[in-house]
Amino acid sequence: MTDQYIKPIPVVQPWTEAFWASTKKHSLLIQKCHSCDKLIFYPRKRCPHCWSLDLGWQKSSGRGKVYTFTIVRDMVEAKFVPDLPYVLAMVELDESIRMMTRIVECDPAAVTIGMDVEVLFEDITDRHALPLFRPADENLRLATRSDTQTREVRKPGLFTSPDEYQTILYTVGGTTGAICRITLNRPEKQNAINRLMAMELCDAFRRVREDRNVGIVVLSGAGGRAFCSGGDLDVLPSLAEHQASLNWLAHEGLDVQKAITDCEKVVMAKIDGHCLAGGLELALCCDLLYAKESAKLGFTEINMGILPGWGGTARIVRSMPVFRARELVYSGRKDYSAREMYEMGLLSRIFRDEQFDEQFEKAVALLASKKPIALRMAKEIMARSAEGGSIDTALAVERNGIQWLTYAPDIQTMMETFRKSVKS
Amino acid sequence: MSTSKGKIAIIGIGEVPTGIYPARSPWDIIYETCAQAVMESGLDKNDIEAVVTVAPQAQARLTAEISFGKIPEELGLKGCKDVCICNAGGASTSNCLRLAENLIMGGTARAVLIPHVTVHSNINQDELINFFAQAGMDLQWEYTFGTTYNAIIAMLTRRYMYESGATPEEMASIVVSMRKWATLDPNSMFFNKKVPSIEEILTSPMVADPLHKRECNVLADGGAAMVVTSAELAPKVTQTPVYKLGEGAVFFTACPLLRENDMMSRGFRESAERALSEAGITKEDIDIWNIYLAYPVGHPLMMESLGLCESGKGCKPFMDGSTSPGGKMPWSTIGDAIGRGHTGSGVSTATYVETARQLMGKAGARQVEGARFVFQNTSGGSGMNNIATVWGKELP
Repeated sequence: MTDQYIKPIPVVQPWTEAFWASTKKHSLLIQKCHSCDKLIFYPRKRCPHCWSLDLGWQKSSGRGKVYTFTIVRDMVEAKFVPDLPYVLAMVELDESIRMMTRIVECDPAAVTIGMDVEVLFEDITDRHALPLFRPADENLRLATRSDTQTREVRKPGLFTSPDEYQTILYTVGGTTGAICRITLNRPEKQNAINRLMAMELCDAFRRVREDRNVGIVVLSGAGGRAFCSGGDLDVLPSLAEHQASLNWLAHEGLDVQKAITDCEKVVMAKIDGHCLAGGLELALCCDLLYAKESAKLGFTEINMGILPGWGGTARIVRSMPVFRARELVYSGRKDYSAREMYEMGLLSRIFRDEQFDEQFEKAVALLASKKPIALRMAKEIMARSAEGGSIDTALAVERNGIQWLTYAPDIQTMMETFRKSVKS
Repeated sequence: MSTSKGKIAIIGIGEVPTGIYPARSPWDIIYETCAQAVMESGLDKNDIEAVVTVAPQAQARLTAEISFGKIPEELGLKGCKDVCICNAGGASTSNCLRLAENLIMGGTARAVLIPHVTVHSNINQDELINFFAQAGMDLQWEYTFGTTYNAIIAMLTRRYMYESGATPEEMASIVVSMRKWATLDPNSMFFNKKVPSIEEILTSPMVADPLHKRECNVLADGGAAMVVTSAELAPKVTQTPVYKLGEGAVFFTACPLLRENDMMSRGFRESAERALSEAGITKEDIDIWNIYLAYPVGHPLMMESLGLCESGKGCKPFMDGSTSPGGKMPWSTIGDAIGRGHTGSGVSTATYVETARQLMGKAGARQVEGARFVFQNTSGGSGMNNIATVWGKELP
């Protein structure tokens, strides 16, 4: 709760500390002048009526009426965008004090001037709780809003089954159960990545490691228009806060990359539409990139004054000829066609649109017929070599990896089958 | 008690078109507007003995440059004796005029230049929203809940509609009236643009109920300048002096929450009465009501407070066309911020420039024939105050 709150925190003055301390006990105080007996709001250092310094507090009933309100729908600071729409209101307390607040737990369309309301508190830091109001009439109240639930960010590893994923699909199939399909499933958002999707992807790629039958993971996007359009722009406002932004890159971002690259399965990206920005970065973590000819790719980050930060800037120069890679990052173009990209040396293969699904499935089936541990070892050896260490180290990894495969428990049977097929 | 009657006069004005011109530098605007104003005044540039500038909002570097005397240096105003920048939000220009009056009456300066410049289009959108979300809001009691200017005005609008029974159509008619003036104004960002119908306004997206997008201001760049001198000297250098005849001011509250419609209504009335009585004329003598309130809702409230319509029927003159070009009650003849484009505190400068322009008979298609007296107001912050002034082409 407290470390996630990125909206403005009240700028407290020494003489208003008691007010905010009280909010933490979920109690609403009104300042009172002991000299002239008048109630004061906003709290002041001197009584605005008689200028006395002899001021104290009384507890408010916490009940009042809506004096006026608005449903804010647009043109707010980034920090408040996730709240839209919200009901901002002036509430007149029974004590004739008027305060700015929000009306919550109520359908915005049901709010009226004169509506009876009662205070409740939203704890925002360990020193402040914001006094908000809800309808006094319980029949007008909605259950706690769903966005307060999503604010309790679920930690990776909390998914007990793939059925709990909300932003991706996870299925295992193929005749021997060798193919796992992880599908980005937010087609209405061009499969953009939000925090939940990042967490679900981490969980899914870690989950599939445990499935010994799976040799191939197909990563694709639902809806047929996009593989993935990148980070969800709705995440951007939360990045206004430095720490949240760092975490989005270092936690979610790095975790997702690692979950894919550290996964011992062969990950095949099926790129059948837009593959942009963070979407392209996801693809770069995969082992094989198959694209529909009409798909569009690119890194658009520089157009916002930033750079690919989910591994894209670092990985792209290791994924294609460097003088071409640089153009992608510098230009911010989002209209590179798959063919162009293939010719520039990035993609494994492109297929004509009308043949794409068929050809892609053929490629998947071909690899799915291979022994999972051989694929796993191949992935490991090639990854270590591609890192650019010494060739002797890479050769040693190769020798020993293959030696290990040669003595794998079921290898003799498989070699026997192979020999027979060659002879016949 | 000292009065402002007949002490100073505006003798020159300059202005550039309002709009979104990111390539137009603030200093280019300053050159353009100041040169126009000085050349029109009939004075030489070296006759300008003080420069009192309207502080640009949300432009810290420009504000610092102007505060530290760059205008007279840049323009080569060799006779300049002093400079000052003045910030009271949308009421800044009124205060610049008061300072000019002091400098003139105190003998420091015979002629004072009052420029304003704002370039919003070079400020990024986030910074602008941020600035206008925090300015005029209490950082402890209001801003934390997600207030914005639009939201505050929306709340005041809803309350006004609730109390007066004004309909959404009536509220939209205010925008129509403003835009009818704007389309005739070469310095408006809506010059020669189609005037939206009430229906078009009401079908534009809701920004903060009941305020639609087309009832909100568009931030724009702009600039204007005036040359002011003593009422005594004015007729000797120009054929068309515009005299300040009276003034009345009232302060409400910094925070909109503590402000009531009643309080505003009373303040509007009292400040207007003071200005009119100082000028020695009555509201029947007023030819143009140059009202600057930045959003629609203040206008009917002002109309009612000034006693120009039945109480609670402040929208009627907008709805029936009385306030529009050709109507019997010309009102905000640059169309206020909503018709002009919002240039921060610059709309108040533009309104004074328009007041002078009308009284000089130079308002082109917007010219109100035979205009002798103009009532004009300014207001700062989120509507913290009201400064009413009366101007005339002659001393009554």
